[in-house]
Amino acid sequence: AAEEDQQAQSKKALKKQQKEAEKAAKKAEKQAKLVCCVFYFLSSQDFAKDRYGVSVMVQSQQKLDRVLVQVQHLTPEKADQVIWLRARVHTSRAKGKQCFLVLRQQQFNVQALIAVGDRASKQMVKFAAAITKESIVDVEAVVRKVEQKIESCSQQDVELHVERIFVISQAEPRLPLQLEDAVRPDGEGEEEGRATVNQDTKLDNRVIDLRTTTSQAIFRLQSGVCQLFRDTLTNKGFVEIQTPKIISAASEGGANVFTVSYFKTSAYLAQSPQLYKQMCICADFDKVFCVGPVFRAEDSNTHRHLTEFVGLDIEMAFNYHYHEVIDSITDTMVQIFKGLRDNFQTEIQTVNKQFPSEPFKFLEPTLRLEYTEAVAMLHEAGVEMGDEEDLSTPNEKLLGRLVKEKYDTDFYVLDKYPLAVRPFYTMPDPNNPKYSNSYDMFMRGEEILSGAQRIHDAQLLTERANHHQIDLEKIKSYIDSFRYGAPPHGGGGIGLERVCMLYLGLHNVRQTSMFPRDPKRLTP
Amino acid sequence: MALRELSSLEKYLGLKKPNKYSTQGDKKNNNGPPLVGLVTIACHLVKEAKRPELLGDTAENRAVVQQWLEFRVTKLDGCTKEDIKTILKDLNVYLQDKVYLAGNKFTLADSLVYFGIHPLLVDLAVQEKEQYLNVARWFDHIQHRPGVRHHLPPLVVLRNRIYTGRHH
Repeated sequence: AAEEDQQAQSKKALKKQQKEAEKAAKKAEKQAKLVCCVFYFLSSQDFAKDRYGVSVMVQSQQKLDRVLVQVQHLTPEKADQVIWLRARVHTSRAKGKQCFLVLRQQQFNVQALIAVGDRASKQMVKFAAAITKESIVDVEAVVRKVEQKIESCSQQDVELHVERIFVISQAEPRLPLQLEDAVRPDGEGEEEGRATVNQDTKLDNRVIDLRTTTSQAIFRLQSGVCQLFRDTLTNKGFVEIQTPKIISAASEGGANVFTVSYFKTSAYLAQSPQLYKQMCICADFDKVFCVGPVFRAEDSNTHRHLTEFVGLDIEMAFNYHYHEVIDSITDTMVQIFKGLRDNFQTEIQTVNKQFPSEPFKFLEPTLRLEYTEAVAMLHEAGVEMGDEEDLSTPNEKLLGRLVKEKYDTDFYVLDKYPLAVRPFYTMPDPNNPKYSNSYDMFMRGEEILSGAQRIHDAQLLTERANHHQIDLEKIKSYIDSFRYGAPPHGGGGIGLERVCMLYLGLHNVRQTSMFPRDPKRLTP
Repeated sequence: MALRELSSLEKYLGLKKPNKYSTQGDKKNNNGPPLVGLVTIACHLVKEAKRPELLGDTAENRAVVQQWLEFRVTKLDGCTKEDIKTILKDLNVYLQDKVYLAGNKFTLADSLVYFGIHPLLVDLAVQEKEQYLNVARWFDHIQHRPGVRHHLPPLVVLRNRIYTGRHH
């Protein structure tokens, strides 16, 4: 009997719950309607009705002679001025006769206040409070100094007293993710039960995720890396080249290339601009670089692999020793690190707030270790590995740690790799045929660049290709480029996303790729 | 395993004539009943070598030594992969303010726990060893104590911390 009683009770409770839920839904609906109605209905009898509202769609009807001020320029110098600005509604909080808005523009935000008075009516405050988050608004306001700093905003010394507010573009009321949740550092707010947004949700709604201060900072810094790369190399007399991405043959075997159908035959997506860089060297361009997409069809789902990424590629002819190339590349990297350190401190700090990491350290001139030295260091730390074995990822990371401890640098070059673990076009070491004139560069213990002196002698190249059992027919045009006089040359390719990730001490390359592509993700 | 340990222990204690043990690990005692069990035999060997201080020099120390000998055979022997982390974590906390298991003097407990913990540490990555800093320090100290190591290969323990930063 007791059980039945309990069942009846739980049924009752369920019904009650249902009813309550319905009630709440109805209430919400009513409120939403009310806000609209209140606005349309009451606006007819509102003294401030020309001071707010939803603007007609901007279809370029008129050229307004209105200066829109940037949020970042809202400083005490502008105090008591009447200004216009366009921004997003980041958050809004209504309290009686007042409504506080946080207006956001990129990574900057400012507090705005609408209070019932001779400028704003009750209806206007109500309207402002009902503007959905992320809507874009035009605001006319007076800049006022504040007594107490506004800690939650980037513009801490001023607030805006709104005189007019018009919605330019309305956002839907339900957002797929909350911006505050997306920038919350791991572990923070856990005790209050606040949500964090996982990576996949962020990437599924990338457009919104990219609006967060962290994303804004990351991609501004990334743009800086590209610019510094270009500027430095151009100053060194390099020529920027554009190479085709649809190619007829894979440069190193065909295991990890994408095949695309090409009219009646098939073609491949370039896994590096290698061939074309080298052909430019043979065509007397002397020093070239190239910024563009690179494709890898490796089915690896790791924190640092993408199927499409941006490659920063360098190739240059040298006089007598390939270390001239290493010096040129490391100097370029150092210029990039310096440029970031000096000009992107705000961005670095912003990212650090969500993803804390130590500042990036480097030496000048860059530390260069030989492979045998590295193996010795690993042996000393108790790692068992053969002298000519390739570095495994854990060993790579451990080596990075050991180097950091010994030399206090996050950036170094590892020179003289074993010949057996490098591609066929790598020049063998003249002093020890087991090793090669090739090098990798590391940031925070992870590889960012792979490079080498290339074989510029057609005969030796053929020999090495044979040794690697590569079909000579397929690489004929490549080998032929070296038959008519080719200067000694070397180079390397850097992954832009990896450089940004490791410079900022982030943990996943998807964070530094705007629209990442991996074996499981093709959208957005 | 236990047999090699006992023979290492005999060498450490400087016992001239090696004893014979049956596969169960019991010792044929010349003038008495046979002894059974690693800890029992080890304690007996210590007495035979006239090194009673290795079992602790005060009543309290003697109790602590016995406690760790018991820990060795009940916790370390036959522990599963999941147990290892808890064991190392607890031991790490315990050793925070100690040079040896029973305070400031080397005892039989250090020797037997060292033998027992060796297989646990041998597979650890450098980063994990650094995580159990106090265990690693104690372990390195014991393995370099003259005459203790014998049958076991030395393990590399780094003297510098290399994972201090927040970046992993």
